[in-house]
Amino acid sequence: MTQRKRLSNVQSSSQSKRQSNSFMTQEEDEDATFTQPSTSQVQRGLEKLTPAQVDQKTAEVVQYILVKDQKKIPVRRADLVKHVVKDYRTVYPEIIKRAMRTFEQVFGLKLVEIDSKNHMYVLVNNLDASTARPSPVERPSNPKMGLLFVILSVIFMKGGVVRENLIWNTLKKLRVDPGQRHEEFGDVRKVITDEFVRQRYLEYVRIPHTEPVEYEFRWGQRSDMEVSRAQILEFMGQLHEQDPRSWTQQYREAHSAASSSQASSSNHR
Amino acid sequence: MRKARAGGDDEAVRQNGSSSRRRTDQHPGDGEDHDSSSGGVQDDDDDNDLGLRREIRSKYRDLINSVQQNREDMLSPSNNKLTEVLEEANKLFKDVRQAREAALDAQLLVVATDLGKEKASQLFSEGSAFDPTAFAEHLLSFMGLNRLEDEDDEPPNGCAGDGYLPKDAWHRLARRAECCFRTAPSFHYMMGSFYTEPPPPKQRIERQRKAPSKEAKRIMPTQLKKMEESHQEATEKEVERILGYLKSYYQDDPSPISYYEFVIDPNSFSRTVENIFHTSFLIRDGLARLKLDSDKLPCIEPVEEGEVEAAGSFSRKQCIVSISPKIWRELIDVFEIKETIIQPPEMQSE
Repeated sequence: MTQRKRLSNVQSSSQSKRQSNSFMTQEEDEDATFTQPSTSQVQRGLEKLTPAQVDQKTAEVVQYILVKDQKKIPVRRADLVKHVVKDYRTVYPEIIKRAMRTFEQVFGLKLVEIDSKNHMYVLVNNLDASTARPSPVERPSNPKMGLLFVILSVIFMKGGVVRENLIWNTLKKLRVDPGQRHEEFGDVRKVITDEFVRQRYLEYVRIPHTEPVEYEFRWGQRSDMEVSRAQILEFMGQLHEQDPRSWTQQYREAHSAASSSQASSSNHR
Repeated sequence: MRKARAGGDDEAVRQNGSSSRRRTDQHPGDGEDHDSSSGGVQDDDDDNDLGLRREIRSKYRDLINSVQQNREDMLSPSNNKLTEVLEEANKLFKDVRQAREAALDAQLLVVATDLGKEKASQLFSEGSAFDPTAFAEHLLSFMGLNRLEDEDDEPPNGCAGDGYLPKDAWHRLARRAECCFRTAPSFHYMMGSFYTEPPPPKQRIERQRKAPSKEAKRIMPTQLKKMEESHQEATEKEVERILGYLKSYYQDDPSPISYYEFVIDPNSFSRTVENIFHTSFLIRDGLARLKLDSDKLPCIEPVEEGEVEAAGSFSRKQCIVSISPKIWRELIDVFEIKETIIQPPEMQSE
């Protein structure tokens, strides 16, 4: 039953893919309809392979994901199967399981599926940053993280959704104008609405029935995994010289049980 | 909405309805700012009305614009700007007579209520409200904004506000914000990635170096060969040629030829020396014989073919012949040598 459901999900996603990408070859079509093999299938598959082969394939998957993560763009399962796993697709769940274990035990990273419909993975740091001491090595910081932080903070403090104009106006006060080229960020609008969205840090969604078209910003799936709302609130408190608890609703949301993993959208809905 | 306004609504609507029907029947295609009136059943102060209509519409549009542009200002709980806008609109509405103005009023209502909803959501949230403007101000301070005291100076970063943001402003913020992120560090190979660029240049250099050397080598041997050949050939040829001369001279006159007459070229000293040199080969090889004649002068004669072998067994005597230009000229005078026996190679006519 679950397989049928998954099939329909995958079919709908592949249909949308077909609509958008008319140049899909038959090979790609097959991968788009990759269905998760059942446990019995996996068992049978494993019997045919030596442990060394499975380990090798796991290592290849780990390397692939590590390199793909450089740009922080999520790894698609379809790509993984097509380029790395290939013939070992019958034992795919086992390989992913082992890869996740490797990431945790060897690298201190967590491989998380952020999109269970389109099957995309990201790598997140498994180490608790708040308790970690500052790194003895001076690493160059990425100023884009500062920009992202501002946007995420505003969205969070405003209940999880904001109209794009609020973001643009706030940024203008910080001397970042989407209409002008910024010396640090370049094409600001592109970075925010394209790069951050592709990296799944932000969601940029059109508001229906608006004329002229308006968009709203939300936290992206990667931000839900990577960013700590509690930490943001701490920083807010420092900046405004207020107790973080004074923002009761945000505080509640930041410290709720679900906040560390995939958080649902705000309770203002 | 206030009751007075509600009352005004009904009246106005009725009036608008009738008047608009009248107007639309007569003038279906009205431009935006153009308001034509027809004759017939109209108010007396129609002309004043035109101006008033336009004024009302423009005021409404101003109100709508002000609400849209100053959205953040209006949202701020610290002022009552939204209420002021609504009061303005109320005043305007009293004079509204036509559908077009009412439509603008409705549009303003939509925008204002939208704002009202947001303000209300701020009210209902417990705890302090969040003001993005204040947030931005705090951030600027955190990033190290230097607020200039002198407001006459134009700030280097355009935009509003005074002050100068240092170059590392965003880096500073990013560093502080890092602790909010659990980003996986980017994986990069320590030695960098595989670039294929270095090897090809090396190959190219090597090939370039090899190519000229090969060619050079190729050139060298051929040149050398040529040289050697030319040397050998030249000498051998010359020697044979001289032997030819000697033999032909001897055939004509089978007596030994005066050596000096044979070798000397009255036109060229260097040719004379060459002739002596070549002749010496003949003698060395036993193809010619030098001896002193009755006058004790050297003379040369070719050796018979049959005698060549036998001549080799004879004991050979060596002598060194030397000649200087002075002696050469003296010899020419004494022997009255007018022309050379051994023609120089370039002048071989046959």
